[in-house]
Amino acid sequence: MARRRSPARLVIALSVAAALAIFLVYTALAGGTPSLRPSQVAGHDGRVSVAGKVVGQPSGAARSPDGLRFTIRDVEGSATLPVVYRGSVPDLFRTGRDVSVEGSLRNGVFVADKLVTKCPSKYTNKPA
Amino acid sequence: MPGLGSAALVVAFGLVLYAALAGGYAAYRGRRRLLDSATNALYASFASVLLAALVLLAALARHDFTFSYVASHTSHELPLGYTLASFWSGQEGSLLLWLLVLTGIGSAAVALNRRLIRTVLPWTVPILGAIASFFALLLVFVASPFATQVAPADGAGMNPSLQNPYMLAHPPLLYLGYVGLTIPFAFAMGALASGRADERWIIATRRWTLASWTFLGFAILLGAKWAYEEVGWGGWYAWDPVENAALMPWLVATAYLHSVMVQEKKNMLRVWNAVLVAGAFCLSLFGTFLTRSGVINSIHSFTQSSIGAWFLGFIAVVAGASTALILYRLPLLRSRTRLESLISREAAFLYNNLFLVAFALTVLWGVIYPLVSEAVRGVAVTVGAPYYDFFGIAFGLPLVLLMGIGPLIAWRRASLRALGRSLLWPAGTAVIVGILLLLGGAGSSPAGLVGYTFASFVLAAIVLEFVRGTRARHALGDGSWFASFTSLVGRNRRRYGGYVVHAAIVLLLVGAVGIGGFGTTREAKLAQGQSLQVGDYTLTYLGSQQERAANSQELRARLAVSRGGDDLGTVLAGKNRYFAEQQTSNEVAIRSDWLRAEDLFVIADQFNPDGSVFVKALVNPLVNLIWLAGLLFVAGSLITLWPDAREQRRLARRFAEEGALARA
Amino acid sequence: METVAVLLAVLLAVAAVAFVARPFLAEPEPEDDRIGSLTPAEQERLRLLERRDRALGALKELEFDHRTGKIADADYEASVGPLRREAAEAMRALEPQTASVPEPVEKVDAPA
Repeated sequence: MARRRSPARLVIALSVAAALAIFLVYTALAGGTPSLRPSQVAGHDGRVSVAGKVVGQPSGAARSPDGLRFTIRDVEGSATLPVVYRGSVPDLFRTGRDVSVEGSLRNGVFVADKLVTKCPSKYTNKPA
Repeated sequence: MPGLGSAALVVAFGLVLYAALAGGYAAYRGRRRLLDSATNALYASFASVLLAALVLLAALARHDFTFSYVASHTSHELPLGYTLASFWSGQEGSLLLWLLVLTGIGSAAVALNRRLIRTVLPWTVPILGAIASFFALLLVFVASPFATQVAPADGAGMNPSLQNPYMLAHPPLLYLGYVGLTIPFAFAMGALASGRADERWIIATRRWTLASWTFLGFAILLGAKWAYEEVGWGGWYAWDPVENAALMPWLVATAYLHSVMVQEKKNMLRVWNAVLVAGAFCLSLFGTFLTRSGVINSIHSFTQSSIGAWFLGFIAVVAGASTALILYRLPLLRSRTRLESLISREAAFLYNNLFLVAFALTVLWGVIYPLVSEAVRGVAVTVGAPYYDFFGIAFGLPLVLLMGIGPLIAWRRASLRALGRSLLWPAGTAVIVGILLLLGGAGSSPAGLVGYTFASFVLAAIVLEFVRGTRARHALGDGSWFASFTSLVGRNRRRYGGYVVHAAIVLLLVGAVGIGGFGTTREAKLAQGQSLQVGDYTLTYLGSQQERAANSQELRARLAVSRGGDDLGTVLAGKNRYFAEQQTSNEVAIRSDWLRAEDLFVIADQFNPDGSVFVKALVNPLVNLIWLAGLLFVAGSLITLWPDAREQRRLARRFAEEGALARA
Repeated sequence: METVAVLLAVLLAVAAVAFVARPFLAEPEPEDDRIGSLTPAEQERLRLLERRDRALGALKELEFDHRTGKIADADYEASVGPLRREAAEAMRALEPQTASVPEPVEKVDAPA
């Protein structure tokens, strides 16, 4: 049987190329919101997302006019940032958890309207 | 007793290491008794690991806090069910569960295929042994469940989010899925290593693969239901890396299940299948790694636990070894059959594979891109739902379409006219449904509208398949229509079981689109007596109440629900405060309307000192179709898996024909 | 408590070693200790068997698809000839004595 040039290879090659192109374009343009550390926030004026570890004792209530007040710290570091958050508080939120907040910096305080806790690694060797 | 547990694990480690090394030598040199000995070692390792597991279970049941594991994951107040389930809620215990399932089903698969292994697949045993050795190594040297300490007064307790019935089922089912993928991997690589080019290993592992895939899929949905009810943000899938960890191997396994059919029937795609099965297994290891290494929080937290490094190393070894083996056997795998036409069932399977693998890679990229970005650019990013939604739709819609077209298209070369005729009714139905939906207001979400149109196309095509098949069967004999139907499905289990599974996936998509594209959310602060309007429902705050449960304080807001003047009862939403763990969790109220397949989802966000409550309410249309789809999915798989006496006879005849090949 | 644990552990280890050694203990001097592997002739026969089964399976599926109306009469007529020839060839290669191809019965069955 004579070996014909198989259309399958062409299809696969084109698909792979197309997929790669889509990935590159998408991630270059819109992929991912930059996530800053508390030490990097100062000077950023617009809307950003900040990721850090909750330290100290949170106070207030997220659905009250004054909001939920807590402090987050660089995961690996000591720089801290005070946060005021208004909205729903996810279950897993507590001191020691890694969280991500979205909002903007105003007068040295980060005013946030989105709060996300990372699913904690259930399997860390240290107690939760 | 911890000494017994540790000893059992050491013995198990020795046994699986022997199975790997001696089995490898036996396969290389062709030594029968040594291979039998290695196989026995595998069986014995299961017994040993089982003993270790029983020791841990007993310690949990006794609240024996001299076991560090028991102390860090349970407490006196923890109900018995959750205490036992904490076997798999922690690092060491879950690794033990992995090893238990691996040695268990590995031994079963080997035992059931003794003859095949002895004659043509000797390498399967050392491969299983090697994989088990990794986990046993971790359990003995890195993360032992049997570490001891001075017993504290009370244990640390269990994370409240884990304290619900889903915790009892989700991890074991998930592991049956993950670990189950080891079997086709070991057999496939065993076949390659032995230089086999025939298909018997596919036939031997077909049901194992299908069963594992079903467990994995069901476990993912169970996890989603858990997140829906317990984490309670109103949604069912957050594209969290932990969720994606299980989705990726499932997608690749789906691709594998389809393309292996092409290999069986047309002897094509052999290299591709080897790559897919290795990929599925590596992704299941990767998924296991993701959920326990802490790497997803930050690339830096990776170094806090060395387990992550071990896993990455092992995945690299497995991926490297599989690649080397496939390349080594490339001449053997290269098939002489070529794809004849781009419009054929073979091509449809190929397209299906491309989309599934592309989507799996997209999810993988979404998971590792933040890590890559941080490592390379120093800038951390988060990849959110919009990324996944975009590609989910981009790849999902064509996949849905293929589900409808694929079964209707002929092998080898389909004539467009014949295809057009087959597609006429389903396409027509879809257009009509689309127009009706558009008139009904579904145009608010264009992607949703297109999705629903495609979904009705597929469902119509599936119904048509059943109708045509039953009609043809009925024309042959004189039974009732019902008898024709059951004998049709009974005699063609793979085909019609597969259709049921397709229908389940389509149903799932309909539900997902419903909740994703057509839902409503409202929130307000309510004083006693005040109301909130959401969708068709009216919620009125009646008052709050408190109650003390075994290990928590339960605070609830009572709300009256009504719709269009009809009283629909009351719901309780609020929070639980757990004593030992010092944590609060949301307890949402979900009122399911089965007739409309929608949910009223109520979250009591905050209880204010002045007696008012902050409530957030959502209407999730069609969400219950998702859970229904899960059940249908399992039903379809069961039909496909069900032992077929006629197929068994045919295979037995085939094996007998191989005559001298069946000696030993 | 500890002595029980130690005893059990020792028992386990001994049982494991015994079980692993069993194949050697059962057959101290076997006449044939090789893993049954296939000669090239047997491998070829296996390949032919699979080829035959594949061809027969394709034929059955064609019948089924035609019966249920998925394949038009014209396409069926065009495909059934080559498929029957393929099946016949495969069977002839296996059993040179077989004279004819069995008539494909119009059963409403797809292969398993």
